[in-house]
Amino acid sequence: MVEKAITGEKRAFMTGNEAVAWAALAAEAEIMYGYPITPQNEIMHYWTRLAPKYGRKFLQTEDEISAGFTTCGGVLAGKRAFTATAGPGNILMQEAMSMAEMLRIPTVVVVQQRGGPSTATVIYSQQETTLTCFGGNGEGLRIVYSTSSHQELFDYTIKAFQIAWKYRFPTFVLGDGYQAKMRESLYLYNPEEKGIPLAEPYPFLGQEGRPGVEREPSHLRNTYNTEEELYQIISRYVEDYERMTPEVVEYQASDFEDAEIVLIAHGIVSRAARAAVKALRSEGLKVGYFRPITLRPFPVGKLREIAPKAKKLVVAESAQGQLFKLVQEALYGETVPLEPYFKPGLGITSEELVEFIMF
Amino acid sequence: MKGTVKIALAGEGGQGVQSVAGIMVEAANDEGREALYIPNFGVEQRGGVSLAFCQISDEKVGAPKFRDADLVIALSDRAVRRTRQYVNKDTLFIYDSSIQGIEDELPRNAKKVLAIPALDIAKKELHPRVFNIIIMGAAIEATKIVEMEQAKKAVEKRLGYKFAQNPKLRELNFKALERGAELVKESLA
Repeated sequence: MVEKAITGEKRAFMTGNEAVAWAALAAEAEIMYGYPITPQNEIMHYWTRLAPKYGRKFLQTEDEISAGFTTCGGVLAGKRAFTATAGPGNILMQEAMSMAEMLRIPTVVVVQQRGGPSTATVIYSQQETTLTCFGGNGEGLRIVYSTSSHQELFDYTIKAFQIAWKYRFPTFVLGDGYQAKMRESLYLYNPEEKGIPLAEPYPFLGQEGRPGVEREPSHLRNTYNTEEELYQIISRYVEDYERMTPEVVEYQASDFEDAEIVLIAHGIVSRAARAAVKALRSEGLKVGYFRPITLRPFPVGKLREIAPKAKKLVVAESAQGQLFKLVQEALYGETVPLEPYFKPGLGITSEELVEFIMF
Repeated sequence: MKGTVKIALAGEGGQGVQSVAGIMVEAANDEGREALYIPNFGVEQRGGVSLAFCQISDEKVGAPKFRDADLVIALSDRAVRRTRQYVNKDTLFIYDSSIQGIEDELPRNAKKVLAIPALDIAKKELHPRVFNIIIMGAAIEATKIVEMEQAKKAVEKRLGYKFAQNPKLRELNFKALERGAELVKESLA
C-alpha cells in the first residue's frame, strides 16, 4: 500500500506542473517514467521530490520512446504508471502509445503542449491536439481530456487513471505551457474522501498460477498473421470504444439557448472564450459558449444539438484548425457556417475574441 | 476597484521582475483573493526582456494573458518598447526615470505616464538589491491590490530566511516597499 499524500482538502497556490505531480500522488500513482522536456519538466521535478516521501518511484529513461514503453511496462506489471511530455517528446511517445492501443494498456500521459512543428517554442500552443488524439498508425482509440485550469489538471489527472484502467484505453491529459507554468489557486483533496473511485490496477503479466490450466492465459498481441484476424480485433475495439463514449464524453456549454453566434474553444483558450461571451452578453449580443472537455471521444451529440440553432459558429484555437477539423467532422451535414479564428502557437486573449465577434 | 486588476511588469533579466510578480500574487492569494501569474519564458537562460503578467480578482481569473493592462511597469528601454502593446486609454504606465532616450517611444494612448526614480533611490538611499521591492511598493500603491501589511507579510514569507540571518534586511525591504508606494502617491497627488 502506498502512503496517502493528501488528507482533507487544502487550498494551494502553485504551478500547473506541481498540481499534476500532486494529482498523481493523490491518484496513488506508483511510478512515473520520464524524460525531461520543457514545459513539462517540473512535473518530473516535483514528482522526484515528493515520490520518495510517499513510497513512490521514478525512473528517468534515455528518451521519450523509452519513457513511453517503460510506462507500458509498468502498467503490464499491474502498477498505476504514468509519464509526461511535450512537443517532440509527444511525437516519440506515439510509438509506445500505438502499442498501448493495440494491447489495450491503460497508460496515463500528461502532455503540456509547446509550439510546433519540431522544436519551435518551449512556450505554448494547442498544436498537439491532432497528435494526441490520433497519433500512431491506428484509429485513435484513446481518451483525451483537454484541461483549462489547475483545478482541472488536478481533477482530470486523477480521473485519467481511473478511466484508463476501467476501459483499458490509453488516456491523455492535454494541458499546455501556460497551464504548466502559470500560478493560480486550486483545491487539493483526497479523491477517496470525496467518493471518487481510484483506478483498480491488476497485473497483465506475471500473475499467479499456470496459464491455461489454473487461470486464463494473458495473450497480449500486437502482431497478427492475417488481415481478417486484425480486422476482427480492431472492430471489437471500435465497438468497445463506441459503447464507452456516452459514459466518458464531457463538455461545457452555456448561453446557447438563444445564441446567434456560438464561440467554440478547448483547453486554456476556453477561458478567453468564456470571458468574451460574458463581455459580449453584457453588450447585448446573443453569444453562446461550447467547450469540448474530451477531445477523444468528441461530444458530438451536444454540439449537434446546439449548432443548428445558431447563425454562425466561431472556432478559436492556438493552432491552424486542429479543433476546427473535429468540429467540422462532428457537424457533417449541418449547414451552419463555421468561422475560424486560428492563432497557431500564440495565446488568445478575451479582448481579441470580443473584437473579432463585434467587428 | 473593478473586477480584475491586470498588471504587466517588464525589465531586463536579473532586475527581479519575476520575483516581484511572484510575491505580489502570493500576497493576494494569502488574502483569499484569486490571483494568476504567468512569466513570459523563452529558450534563453539569461538576458532578454523578462515579462510577467499578473491578474488579481475577487473571482476566478479568465485567460492567463491579456492585451489591455491596468498597470504597466517598464524598467528598461527595451521593456518600454515591448510593453507599449499592453496600453490602452485606462492604463497607468510607469517607467524608471533613469531610462535614457525613450521619450519618443513612450505610449501616447495611456491614461497617465509616470516616471519614478526607483533605481536612483535604490542606489542612493537604500541598496541596489531592493530596487525590485521599490517597484513592488509602487505597483501596490498604484493598484491597491493588497494592503501594505499583507505585502510585508508576503515579503517576510519569501525572504524570511534571509532576514533571520540579517534583521537589517527586513527593515531595508520594508522601507523599500514604503518608498515605492510614496513615489507613486507623490506623482499622482
